[in-house]
Amino acid sequence: MKNYQLTIKADDKQVVLERILQVTRYRGFLISGINAKVNTGTHVGTIELMVRSERPIELLVDQINKLIDIKEVKVDNSASQQCIA
Amino acid sequence: MTTEKKLTGGGLLFNVLEQHGVEHVFGYPGGAIMPIYDALYDSDVEHFLCRHEQGAAFSAVGYARASGKVGVCLATSGPGATNLITGLADALADSIPVVAITGQVATAAMGSDAFQEIDIFGLSLACTKHSFQVTDIDDLAKVLHQAFAIALEGRQGPVLVDIPKDIQLAEVNGCLEHLVNLKNKVKLPPANVGSAIALLNQAKQPVLYVGGGVGMANAIDELRAFAKTTGVPSVSTLKGLGAVDPKDENYLGMLGMHGTKAANLAVQECDLLIAVGARFDDRVTGKLNEFAPNAKVIHFDIDTAEINKRRVADAAILGDLKVNLPALAIPLSIATWQDKCQTMKAEFTWDYNHPGETIFAPAVLKEISDHMPANTCVTTDVGQHQMWAAQHMLFDDPSNFLTSGGMGTMGFGVPAAVGAQVSRPTDCIIAVSGDGSFMMNVQELSTIKRFQLPVKIVLIDNAKLGMVRQWQDLFFNGRLSETDLADNPDFVMLANAFDIKAKLISNKSEVTGAIEEMLEHDGPYLLQVKIDAQDNVWPLVPPNTANDKMMEST
Repeated sequence: MKNYQLTIKADDKQVVLERILQVTRYRGFLISGINAKVNTGTHVGTIELMVRSERPIELLVDQINKLIDIKEVKVDNSASQQCIA
Repeated sequence: MTTEKKLTGGGLLFNVLEQHGVEHVFGYPGGAIMPIYDALYDSDVEHFLCRHEQGAAFSAVGYARASGKVGVCLATSGPGATNLITGLADALADSIPVVAITGQVATAAMGSDAFQEIDIFGLSLACTKHSFQVTDIDDLAKVLHQAFAIALEGRQGPVLVDIPKDIQLAEVNGCLEHLVNLKNKVKLPPANVGSAIALLNQAKQPVLYVGGGVGMANAIDELRAFAKTTGVPSVSTLKGLGAVDPKDENYLGMLGMHGTKAANLAVQECDLLIAVGARFDDRVTGKLNEFAPNAKVIHFDIDTAEINKRRVADAAILGDLKVNLPALAIPLSIATWQDKCQTMKAEFTWDYNHPGETIFAPAVLKEISDHMPANTCVTTDVGQHQMWAAQHMLFDDPSNFLTSGGMGTMGFGVPAAVGAQVSRPTDCIIAVSGDGSFMMNVQELSTIKRFQLPVKIVLIDNAKLGMVRQWQDLFFNGRLSETDLADNPDFVMLANAFDIKAKLISNKSEVTGAIEEMLEHDGPYLLQVKIDAQDNVWPLVPPNTANDKMMEST
């Protein structure tokens, strides 16, 4: 198992958080933590997502990026680390 | 631009549909979508009443696949909306542009467990490319335009728009603005053409692995030019059938679980696999880590997420196939490999000799394929008949073979044929079905009757769930659990009840005349073909097995 931290920028649209969570679960990643907030001025949401999986993180990044309301997905390499499961 | 004319939300919906060139929709009315059906009354859009919302969704899918246009379906809230879900999942798996409109209870009642209320917006997340719920009438036009743009943009797919009843009734200016032209949202890196050309030049035994993305990208001419210029032997996925010219001497047929022996052996031996609009599906690869074990991979796709998903690509060519395929079409010196592939193709050709008088389904389907008019569109259901159709019928365009590939949805064939016939009224449309699948959406015979659609149905009848029975025999020690359908109805009488001419054949001597009669008949026709219940689909690559270890008989 590896731990990863993603920082996701998304338009503040209906169910965007549900979409991210659904894709994360379906693609085989467990959620260790989440922090989400919306900038009411720009209507852009920032979601910090801590996930763990045996699958490469690129598979999840590509799938989240396909969601229509997503602006950007970044993997925080400094926060991502090997976890001895 | 907005007009001064006041419309209801329902009226605005049809304005926007007309603006997008929609002429035909498939649907079923109900309480929470009544304002939209009231507006339909004044619209030029032609509505095809199906007899189940799943039928409407599959008809929209068939319409889209046969025509290249967006398919549109309508359903009411609650059970109407949930009945669409299988069709939407099918469209998502096969990347089909569909816009589904669902009625919803009024916004004030939402979240109160109202009559026929279901959170279809929430349910849509896993079975659509995107979805919307409109809670402000001023957003309706923009959302509808976005729905069409998203359905067609990049890798195509289904979009659902859920419209509460009060939004359908609300008044709004007739709005003709907000035509959305989405660019590819994901920025694609420059195509890695240089490394791909190096791989091509190094290859001694390359194979072209053609998927459904070629037809979706409208890149059939470019694909055929690539195959001709390079001379690379080609194989096709189920959904890619028709993209390669079936008469191309270097074409080896379908690969995968029920692929041809030549196609699978060539892929297993190749040193370069050129995947074009294909996604290394498990039914194609068999045991993944033994699939094309010695091959480097060039992967052409529009969807970044398909690259490296199941097989790491040595060169990824992202973007439009119409642009990228010509950039790599270079002559190659692979005559020895071409000769070997052509020899395998000749050696492992189909054998239509079949003892006895019972009808051999592969021979029937080949005979239909040989005699059907040019530009015939064939739909299938799912099971043995589907694989026999894929193996033994030839198609010159992917829009002439509509089959549920990714989702493998029984019940697809007849309603998809309805949609195909509506989109192409002068073309011959043949639904090849099985007795199990046929009964799953048999109510759509009523749609065929209502609109006098001249759909031909070839019902391959073994009174079994044949593919499951085959697997039970092969892999579950012959324990035949719930696969006997000996109590099927009288299919000829059933068809006649819908004013559809029908005939039953059970002897080889009847085949040629029956096919001729069916193809010459002006209206709808059902040909029931009784076959031996023990007939199996061969070859078969057992699950989690390499593709060169195929079974060819019991």
